[in-house]
Amino acid sequence: MSTEQYAYEMSIREIFPKLGVELVDLKGFSCCGEPIKSVNQFLTLTLAARNLAIAEKEGLDVFAPCPLCHLAFTECKRVLDTDPKMSERVNKNLVDEGLKYTGTSSVMSILDLLYDVVGVDKIKELVKKPLKDLKVATHYGCHLIRPSEIGRSDDSENPQKMEELLKAIGANPEYYPEKLDCCGALLNANLPESALTKTGQKLQKVQEYGFDVFVDTCPWCHKQYDARQVKAGETVAAKLDVPVVYLTQLLGVAFGVNHEKLGFDLNLSPVDKLKLGGK
Amino acid sequence: MSIVDLTSMAESQAELKKEINERLSRLQDEISDYCFQCAKCTSGCEAHKLLELEPHKIVALLKRGLIDEMINSDIIWTCMSCFKCRERCPQKVAPVEILFALKNMAVASGKQIPGNYTAMLQSVLSIGLLQDVKSVSTRDNKTKTRSDLGLPELSKPVDPSKFQMMLSKIAVEKV
Repeated sequence: MSTEQYAYEMSIREIFPKLGVELVDLKGFSCCGEPIKSVNQFLTLTLAARNLAIAEKEGLDVFAPCPLCHLAFTECKRVLDTDPKMSERVNKNLVDEGLKYTGTSSVMSILDLLYDVVGVDKIKELVKKPLKDLKVATHYGCHLIRPSEIGRSDDSENPQKMEELLKAIGANPEYYPEKLDCCGALLNANLPESALTKTGQKLQKVQEYGFDVFVDTCPWCHKQYDARQVKAGETVAAKLDVPVVYLTQLLGVAFGVNHEKLGFDLNLSPVDKLKLGGK
Repeated sequence: MSIVDLTSMAESQAELKKEINERLSRLQDEISDYCFQCAKCTSGCEAHKLLELEPHKIVALLKRGLIDEMINSDIIWTCMSCFKCRERCPQKVAPVEILFALKNMAVASGKQIPGNYTAMLQSVLSIGLLQDVKSVSTRDNKTKTRSDLGLPELSKPVDPSKFQMMLSKIAVEKV
């Protein structure tokens, strides 16, 4: 979703250098393949392997901020690292571009990087404006935490890393029963109305519980809850008015980064009412 | 190359179908025998209430070999791939993976690909991205491009013709 969800990318590029993580843009990357898995799984596998092979060539690990990309890469690694025949078959397709998948690069998600690599302590150190009294609903995104069998970023039934990160910046994340509900975004391809209903049902609950803000880490989910919020509300006959932000945007605010640099102008949900202070 | 190439090459489609068929029979033999129809998958299915998808029935139908019936049904396209069924199955059956295989099979059998999938696939095949780079709107309706926002040019396959060639190989590859 680097073709439109720019607030995520902007906030990532702002905060990671502060956390001591250097980001390198890799030339030649393509779509990870996950969104078209329903059409052809082998195509997904090949596209994922191709991207990983590009990172290997540069000797870098892959940071995949989008949970769908992260799942495609993780699954690709698992398949190719355990099935030499499949690995050979996929690699045959990569030869013409001078690429070869060998499995040397590791793959990290946004939570792997923020929670496991950088760590809560380091994040606490950087906080300039603690986000006190902010009641936060977290939304992990299905692909970030399932299927755990292949190795995902947090517990599949009770994920807590986002909560820990939010507490580190002074915010107050609270549990709600619909926390693990799906946004429905992947139905947009063929059943867009149903996708909106899924989104609306969850957000309506979040609004009823009186949360100040809804925080996510997935560009697909974010587009549903943020950009499509009004339409999603219509499907459940509710007037939704919930500020939706990326986790990285909120971290940036706590670190004192200018809101414009974090892409806050691009959030289409009512983030102005958040009163996060500063510009 | 276009979607038409990927879906209309009769011989290669036969190969692709053979491969997916093997995948399905493997799922059928190895996995569906373990399913005892507890329906835990269906109780947590995100598409159940809204769209009446019942993953445990998908497993049961696969066990009975009713593959054609399923690939001809719209129900397989209601899965939103939340992976809860795979996560929660006490027997490690993965209805979501069966559904992926069935959808792949439907496409390989020349069934109409529903909705936007065709456009998405076409875009990936031609430029390597799910959609072309977009300009976006701010909350106060100003249009911004990536460069307006200080973002670098987006990474794409360096040599599109080689990239397309690779993908076309997938379509004709013998399995």
